[in-house]
Amino acid sequence: MTDTARILIVEDDDAAAGAIAQAVRDLGCEPVVMRSYADGLKAAGLAEFRVIVFDRMLPGGDGIDAIARIRAAGSTALVLVVSALGRAANKIEGLEKGADDYLAKPFDAEELRARLRALLRRQEMVVMDNDLVTLGDLQIRMKARTVHVKNAHVPVSPKEFELISYFARNAGEVVTRMQLLENVWNLHFDPQTNVVDVHVGRLRRKLEQAAGHPVIHTDRGVGYVFDPQRDTVG
Amino acid sequence: MTPPRRSLAASAALRVTLTVAAGIIVLSLSAMALQYRITARALETRQAEVLSADLSGFAQFYEQRRIPGLREAIEARAALTDGQEALYLLQDRNGTTLAGNIGDWPQALAPAGDLFAPAPLQEIVVGGTAYRGVARELPGGFPFLAARAWTPVTETLSGLRGTILWVAAGLSALALLAGWLVARAVVGRIDRINALADRVADGDLSARLPGPRSQDEFGALERHFNQMLDRIEALNRATHRLSDAIAHELRTPLNRIRQRLDRLQGQDADVAAIREDMAGTVRIFDSLLDISSAEAASGQRPGLVPVDLSAIAAEVFELYEPLAEDRGLSPAAEIAPGAWVLGERNLIAQLVSNLLDNAIKFTGPGERVTLTLATGDRHRLTVADTGPGVPEDIRATVFDRFTRGARDREVTGHGLGLALVQAIATRHGARVSLPPVCRGFAIEIAWPPLPRR
Repeated sequence: MTDTARILIVEDDDAAAGAIAQAVRDLGCEPVVMRSYADGLKAAGLAEFRVIVFDRMLPGGDGIDAIARIRAAGSTALVLVVSALGRAANKIEGLEKGADDYLAKPFDAEELRARLRALLRRQEMVVMDNDLVTLGDLQIRMKARTVHVKNAHVPVSPKEFELISYFARNAGEVVTRMQLLENVWNLHFDPQTNVVDVHVGRLRRKLEQAAGHPVIHTDRGVGYVFDPQRDTVG
Repeated sequence: MTPPRRSLAASAALRVTLTVAAGIIVLSLSAMALQYRITARALETRQAEVLSADLSGFAQFYEQRRIPGLREAIEARAALTDGQEALYLLQDRNGTTLAGNIGDWPQALAPAGDLFAPAPLQEIVVGGTAYRGVARELPGGFPFLAARAWTPVTETLSGLRGTILWVAAGLSALALLAGWLVARAVVGRIDRINALADRVADGDLSARLPGPRSQDEFGALERHFNQMLDRIEALNRATHRLSDAIAHELRTPLNRIRQRLDRLQGQDADVAAIREDMAGTVRIFDSLLDISSAEAASGQRPGLVPVDLSAIAAEVFELYEPLAEDRGLSPAAEIAPGAWVLGERNLIAQLVSNLLDNAIKFTGPGERVTLTLATGDRHRLTVADTGPGVPEDIRATVFDRFTRGARDREVTGHGLGLALVQAIATRHGARVSLPPVCRGFAIEIAWPPLPRR
């Protein structure tokens, strides 16, 4: 993040606003905090923001109603809704109304950082339309849906391929279980058992066996980091 | 659900039509019958009066000059009167005709009554024509007959009957038409209200009767109906607002606690445990809110779209398969393709996930967990395991909130999984049942298939 990216935070709860602002600073970006729906909407139109974090039950309105207006005003900012309306139904409603991501309160700082990082990355990244993605000694062919490590083919199931593609898009960054469940499985509820771990574990073993060193790393119980280039010490 | 089409026989419209028509017909037929009776009586009275006038005339002649006088009088009457109109006859004791407009005494006619009294009257048939009159034997053995033809009466009455028949036929047709019009007006307005009730029952709480209300009882009924729906809708909205408010009021402070926790240093184990507890708490009230919102939305069409149940079941099974294998279970799935239902993908996925999660959680290594989906008049999704099954004491209440088996205290969970399964199934109009199995536990959800267009 070369240029200091600005992130707009529209949140009326002090503690939440503070935590989000801190997460934004942790990522090396500049937070701008607004306290109400109207102020948030106005601010979104005044300056250029990379990401806008909108709350829902704000004085004056619901953040998801602002998304269409922000877009209509020509902003290219990605919108992350952070809300106490955190049930699966609320999330789906938010995503359907144009939110780029949706995080329920109470949120974990690490989870929030991961979401923000993924959005910033999505902003930076020119769509991965090149067929071949090379990360260290790992090669992913998008059209053929194949994975090669050191030129040896690694057989993966269709779901594992989707998993590895999502990891590749966020290579080097922490990806949380919830992000994987939402983006790879398109499921927006919290399964009682950590089913995702088992899938990642299998893929991890496969890749590690082929590469001879860990490719997917665990990050303090929060999630995973996909980094084929990281040293084996990792 | 489409409202069931009422059969014609069961239709109130038909009954109202027929009742109104029958009413009109019965009333007018009664009126015409009364008219007929009055006419018949008047005609009979008139004929009887003419006869009675004849008789009193003859009586005067007889009183003055006995048989010769009467003979002259009858001759005079007979000369003036056609046999088709009236009969007159006077004979002597040998049967010789003295005067009259017929030759012979009608056969089998026995004289009866006194002199010229107007009663009793007798029916006399001569040459196919019906007459009514008196047949007497005057003192000295003179048979005497005076009668008036009844044909004018019967002809008039039969003409009247013909007219009545035509009028009745025309009237019936008109009555049926009138009945149909009345029925259409009445039943049509009731049908409007019924159609609205059907839409509301199908879940469209915002449905209302359009257009202006009339000032009559139907207008009042429609007005009341709309007011009632406004009230239901307001209550429903209040419930939604309440659950949003609960979420907001609980999650906001929980979020503050969470953010403060993140700032704590050096007590990682405790912090992690508190985080886990908080996540568990949030999960419980999310489940409770999910259950009540699924229950509140039961049977409502909005929000449901055609989804491929087979695909969802396969995806969720695939999500859980490695977990089951890692736990030493043998997972198997037999999924018929193309089971489309009207539903919400995420809710259905959560239902399947809860079922598989439970089956895996409560089943020990070496056992089987099977998911089957069979298409048919109802798509049957079954998740079965060969585990320890459900204890008899909680079998009846497994779908209640917070029901947990005493022996499952060691297993994580809050006893809301199956309650949510039940609520989601109900939301989709699906039926949940516990089919009997020799060993383990099985649960079946029978989904209504996507209606064909």
